[in-house]
Amino acid sequence: MGKYFSEGIIKNNPVLVLMLGLCPTLAVSTTAFNSLGMGVAVIFVLALSNVTISIIRKIVPDAVRIPVFIVIISTFVTVIEYVLHAFLPDLYSQLGIFVPLIVVNCIILGRAEAFASKNGFFASLLDGIGTGIGFTFAIFLMGAIREIFGSGKLFGYTVFGAEFVKAPVLYMILPPGGFLVIAFLIGMMNWIRQRKGKTKNSIQI
Amino acid sequence: MKLKMILLLTCVCAVSAFLLAWVYGITEPKIRQDIAKKTNLYLMEVAFPKGEEYKLSDKDTILWVACDSAGKIVGSAKFELTIPGTLWTIFDTTQNKMGIAFKVWPKGYGGAIETLVGLGMDTVLTGIRTVTPAEGLRETPGLGIKVTALWFKHQFIGKKEQDVLLKKDGGALDAITAATISSRAVAKGVQKGISEYKEYLSSQATELPSD
Repeated sequence: MGKYFSEGIIKNNPVLVLMLGLCPTLAVSTTAFNSLGMGVAVIFVLALSNVTISIIRKIVPDAVRIPVFIVIISTFVTVIEYVLHAFLPDLYSQLGIFVPLIVVNCIILGRAEAFASKNGFFASLLDGIGTGIGFTFAIFLMGAIREIFGSGKLFGYTVFGAEFVKAPVLYMILPPGGFLVIAFLIGMMNWIRQRKGKTKNSIQI
Repeated sequence: MKLKMILLLTCVCAVSAFLLAWVYGITEPKIRQDIAKKTNLYLMEVAFPKGEEYKLSDKDTILWVACDSAGKIVGSAKFELTIPGTLWTIFDTTQNKMGIAFKVWPKGYGGAIETLVGLGMDTVLTGIRTVTPAEGLRETPGLGIKVTALWFKHQFIGKKEQDVLLKKDGGALDAITAATISSRAVAKGVQKGISEYKEYLSSQATELPSD
C-alpha cells in the first residue's frame, strides 16, 4: 500500500517524470506562496476525485467515463472554490482565478483514468494524496527558484539583499524563465534517476 | 446499454448539482458578505487613498472610516450604488454628496485592466485602484503588473481630466518603465471614464436613500 503513496512523489512525479500538468506549473509558479496554495488545492481535489471515481468505477460504462470524470472533477473544484471564498477569503484573494484552473489540470483526469478507474478505495486515496504532494513539490520548487531570482525574495523576505531586489533577474518571472527552470528541473530529475539506475545496473529513462 | 449510459450520466449530474446547491447555500451568505466588504474597502481606497486602514464605523452600519497609521480617523463616507457594478455615489456623514466612484475596463497588454476611479465634486480625481493579478489582472509580471504599484496609482490623485495622460502624450503622468501600453491604457481609461461619468456629479440623487 505504501508504494501507491510514495510513487507519485519522486519515482512517478507527475510534473518532472510524467510531464503532466505542465500548464498550471508554468503559469502559477511565479511566487512560492502562489505555488504552495495551488499545490494544496490540487491535493484536495485529486484525493476527493480519485476516491469518488474509484467508488463508482464498476457502474460507469466505458463510453461515458470521461464526461463522468469531468463532471466529478469540476464539482469538487467548484466546492473548493466556494469553501475557500467563504471561510478563507484572504487565501482566496491570493489564489483567485487560479482555482478554476485546476479543472483543466491534466494530472487529475490522468490519475482518474490511469489509476482510480482500475483500483480500490484506499489505493486511490493514497495515490491521489501522493501524486498531489509530488505536484506540490515540483511547483513549489519552481515557484521558490523563480521568486528568489526573479524578485530577490522568498515568501516576501529578501534573500540577496536590497540591491538585488532593485534589479532582479526579471526574466525568471516571465514565461521564458518558467521554461528554463522546468527544463533544468527535469534534467536534474533525469540525471538522478539515471545514476540510481546505474547502481542497480538497469538504466531506464 | 444506451439507456444505462443516459441514466448514469443524468444521475452523476444530478448528484453534482445537489452537492453544489448545498455547498452554495452554506457559503453564499459569507461570500456575499466578503464581496460587499471588499467593494466598500476598495471604494474607501479611492475616496481616501492616503488612509492606512479602512473599517466600518462603530456607530453606524453603513458608515466607513479611514484611519491613519496612528489610528486617527482621517475621513468617512457612505456609498450608494447608482449603476449596478459600475457607479457609486459617495456621501459624507452629514448626507452631503462628496463625489462618485466608477469602474472602467481599459484594454491593456494582456486584457482588460479593471480600474476603480474616485472623482470629487470639483471633478478632481481622489484616487484610483487597479485590480490585482489574483482578481484577474493579466498584465506581464514584473512590467505591466506595476499598474498596481502605489507610486503609479498615487500620481493620479488631484489630477484634472485634461492632465490624466502620460507625459509623452501631453499629460502629467509618468509611465511605468518598459510598460507604456499598460500605463497608457489606465491613463486613457480613467480620462474616458471622467468625461463619460462626470454628469453624475451634478445630476439627481442628492438625498441618501433608505438604508
